[in-house]
Amino acid sequence: MKHIQGSSMMGFITILVRGKDPELFFQKCIERDILVWNVKKKSDTACAGNIKLRDLSQLKQVKRGTHYKLTFTNKRGFPFLLKSFTRKKELVIGLLLSILLVFFLSNIIWEVRITNVPRDIEEKISDQLTEYGIHQGTWTFTLDSPSNIQQRLINDIPELLWVGVQQNGTSYILEGVEKTIVEEEEVEGPRNLVASKKGVIENMYVSKGQPRVQVNDYVEPGDLLVSGDIQFADENEEDDEKKDKNYEPIAAEGEVIAKTWYETEVTVPLKANHERLTGNKETKYHLKIGGVEFPVWGFGEPEYHKIHRERYEKDLYLFKWNLPISLMETTLSEKTYHKAERSKSEAIDIGIRQAKNELQLRLGPEADIVSENILQEITENGKVKLILYIAVEEDIVKQEPIDQGD
Amino acid sequence: MKKWQQQIRPWLSKYFSLPSDVMMELPRITMIGQLHVYIENHQGLVVYSDTELRLKSNKGYIQITGSAFVLKMMLPEEILLEGTIEEVKFIPV
Repeated sequence: MKHIQGSSMMGFITILVRGKDPELFFQKCIERDILVWNVKKKSDTACAGNIKLRDLSQLKQVKRGTHYKLTFTNKRGFPFLLKSFTRKKELVIGLLLSILLVFFLSNIIWEVRITNVPRDIEEKISDQLTEYGIHQGTWTFTLDSPSNIQQRLINDIPELLWVGVQQNGTSYILEGVEKTIVEEEEVEGPRNLVASKKGVIENMYVSKGQPRVQVNDYVEPGDLLVSGDIQFADENEEDDEKKDKNYEPIAAEGEVIAKTWYETEVTVPLKANHERLTGNKETKYHLKIGGVEFPVWGFGEPEYHKIHRERYEKDLYLFKWNLPISLMETTLSEKTYHKAERSKSEAIDIGIRQAKNELQLRLGPEADIVSENILQEITENGKVKLILYIAVEEDIVKQEPIDQGD
Repeated sequence: MKKWQQQIRPWLSKYFSLPSDVMMELPRITMIGQLHVYIENHQGLVVYSDTELRLKSNKGYIQITGSAFVLKMMLPEEILLEGTIEEVKFIPV
């Protein structure tokens, strides 16, 4: 019976043959390789049987030139079902609408959950998220990618050390780690303060310990600045000999501001190229199905020729499944090329600024750049090379524990 | 020549136990009680009605009589008949 398997899938027809010896019509059919089944003789001149829908055109060829009369009495199977279904317009529209509804609902954010952070930071995060446009009921494809949001959140909320943003279907899950401000670990116990860099001391504020240098002294790295060993000569004389030697060193504390020098080298080109966006932009949308992209919105090429393209891909979801369709957003921005030529003095200015910035970054915000001198200035190959001598006032203290020999 | 071939075929099927329906182009009729008759290797339908089915074979006709006949399936050279079978008869030409 495997021959008639799948016939309901492909559709089949019951035909009624009228005429003399109607069964012989079916004999003709099978000679033409038309499969026939459930043949029943209704009367002497009528016979009914089933044939497959795809054999219909061949059946007509068989019928041609014979005296038989054919009527189709029954149509069954999926193609007919589909046909009768599509004839009911309301049903089709309803079905389409419901699919659309499910699709839309699947692409709406239903939940923003923030975990692992205290109440106040949670509030802050949810405020920020609302500012970015992430709240219940927004479209997922209007949003930034999770990694971008992560970056922005960390920038905007200084209390956050790390935040994990995860989009899980229709819910956003944020996991935060609060920054705990850890006090800088200090060397425990008795210690000295020594110089970490060479320089000339400008200022000293010693709160504990005995200063061993004076203002305007030149120090080399490792030189003792403030000692933790304090000897009180008067008191020691009164105590007995043993105690005299076992004086207690203390933890020296203080700030020693010294003038230090740095020699840096910068090179500044006299010509520079850079691109700049003019602000004209167009946005195009494509639907990406598999590897093929179909334009949805935004046709035609923009009028400008120098274009900077930015592309974003937004995944679409149905329930929790990622659809193979995604929305591509392309932003075409007009750009212009700028050629800048600098005079030598401008280049030197830029170089000095650059060197100062770099040094400040390296030394930290507490260092104070006092002055700079140009030691050498060479112009070659369209570049200005500067060797600068920069004086900085900074804290040069380094803590060093006193070894007590135990 | 043809005569000789027809002579040798029964002998072949007898001594090499080859299926005789293939060797001698005879119809193979399979019956399941009174319910089904499955006929292979026939050479065409001649008469079909509620009570009778007549098929051509190479040596005459096969006549099957009974009641409530339905041809469950028709393929070239194969027929599955359903109904109440009373008689299977070979009618030589």
